Amino acid sequence: MDRIRQYWDAVTDDLNNCPANPEIELIPLRTTGYATAFGVYITSIGPYRLFGYLSIPKGTGPFPAIYYTATYTSVLDFLPQGTSNFTRSRFVTFSLAGRGQRNADKPYAAMFPGHFTNKISEPYEYVFRSVTADCLRGAQFLLDCPEVSNENTVVVGNDLALIVASLETRIKYLMTAPKLFVDSIQLAGKVIDYAGYPALAELNDYLRMYPDDSDKVAETLSYFDLAYHATNISAKTLILAGSKGSVVDASALFPVQSSLAGASQIFESQDSSYKDGLYCEQWITENLVSPDTDPIVPVHWS
Amino acid sequence: MSYTVDPQYKCQIQKPKDFDAFWKGVTDQLTDIPLDPEIYADPLRSSPTVEVFRVFYNSLDSVKISGWYAIPRTRSSAMPGVLLFPGYLSDPPIPKTWAEKGYACLSVAPRGKIGSKQQFDPGYPGLLTHNIVDPNTYTYRGFYVDAWRAVDFLMSRSEIDDNRIGVTGISQGGGLSITTAAMRPEVSVASVGAPYLVGFMDSLLLTDTYPYEEINDYLRLYPERKEQVESTLAYFDGINFADKITCPIMVHLGLQDNVCPPETGFHLFRELKSQQKELFAYDGHGHDANRKEHQKKIEAFFEKYIGSEI
Repeated sequence: MDRIRQYWDAVTDDLNNCPANPEIELIPLRTTGYATAFGVYITSIGPYRLFGYLSIPKGTGPFPAIYYTATYTSVLDFLPQGTSNFTRSRFVTFSLAGRGQRNADKPYAAMFPGHFTNKISEPYEYVFRSVTADCLRGAQFLLDCPEVSNENTVVVGNDLALIVASLETRIKYLMTAPKLFVDSIQLAGKVIDYAGYPALAELNDYLRMYPDDSDKVAETLSYFDLAYHATNISAKTLILAGSKGSVVDASALFPVQSSLAGASQIFESQDSSYKDGLYCEQWITENLVSPDTDPIVPVHWS
Repeated sequence: MSYTVDPQYKCQIQKPKDFDAFWKGVTDQLTDIPLDPEIYADPLRSSPTVEVFRVFYNSLDSVKISGWYAIPRTRSSAMPGVLLFPGYLSDPPIPKTWAEKGYACLSVAPRGKIGSKQQFDPGYPGLLTHNIVDPNTYTYRGFYVDAWRAVDFLMSRSEIDDNRIGVTGISQGGGLSITTAAMRPEVSVASVGAPYLVGFMDSLLLTDTYPYEEINDYLRLYPERKEQVESTLAYFDGINFADKITCPIMVHLGLQDNVCPPETGFHLFRELKSQQKELFAYDGHGHDANRKEHQKKIEAFFEKYIGSEI
């Protein structure tokens, strides 16, 4: 058994030995005529209590579902900014705060910057080992919901979504925009802009301050090798790349795509949240609902 | 038939008669609150070309505000300063790229943001509707002042030329740039992208997305409070600050903006009193407002009006 497999088997073993013990509370403020909103509390490894926002369409399910894994921001969206709220009339949506993010920041309140490099030179203490477990726990919770059609569920997010899809075989669709673990050490050297690639900018600072840690950091990051994880993914996958020439553009992601076991494509950003967003909404609707169904889009995109 | 934006759209906003008195009352409270700026070098975040500092200062209600301050290592004693304001969800970035271009830049974390939430933390989502029926305690009363007081922080620094201060931001950062340019005459130039906090009540009808959807959620649950909400928001609407802005200002919008409707940006632009004002409305762009390409125009605009040292 290879060392990367052993690393993640230990994570899943820890998770299997840690009951989720979910609590689900109605959120009247976010409940509409077409969807009911809930706050969800579940336990991940540690043990650590997490929080997520769950929305279920009114009517008879099961429904297609969208799972938004933890983002690299301090804030947890109820629904990603700019997504039409009417999306909730068609899909179950679930957004999870990984440990350190708002609503899951006790006892650990992550700093941004600071979260990505927290214990990065200690592979088994690295915070993203636990954050990945958090995201996997969220997937397990959602896929166990009776209102969810597992055959029509997509996991959406950054690199963590991809790793979750490699660890949870029930996932049939994946939409991933890697920005954390793609050739991180090499690409971090190109990044000073905290606005565009905050995690890589943070890593760049860390390696400049602690150059002697570079081998240890490399070892830790090797467990997050996306090309390795891609070999375990049979889900139909859309990879969202940065625009041509950007730090994580399509050329940086070809090795990941070529390793995927299932059908896949790369969409290169058009540097337009409208064009990129519209493509994503169409992909989700085409695959989770039907090719003949119009996507639900914001007013200004119609 | 696809959606089309009416550039002549007029928001239904009314300016309260006591608008100026309201804000004078707020800013008068600052006279008894010393700025007490604190600045700490952060070697981890600094680079061979840029020095980074963690900074703090006191604002309304004596809330301590934090920020990231970045300055070029090669500098003189009279540098231009830039205030960079954050979006609603985003964490204030370390503004190294501005410093690389020769500006001293403060990236502000107003109350409730990470780094400034020990004394005030209404949460996200939730910040937009916190105490929304009461202008005297509404979130953005203090939040706006936190941004305005950042000007005082820059002016407390000996390396800053007080006559060369600019403000910039996108989305909420754009909204804060508007109110800061309006309320602080020391601001010499402003750049505003896809502005948020502009035409609130119209935005509720023009969008179906968060964060404005927070207010729709609130009014769905408490429909009887609509008049109070509308009354409060009139004190905080960027359009009602626009006639106070006289510095050169550039506004950029995305015609497919699904977060901050471009209609509200058009109305805002018409109300700006500045003689030197430029509008860029980008077709094919959403809330990004063509940020990547437009950034070059912002830099040229700032260079023209406040210049850089390097």
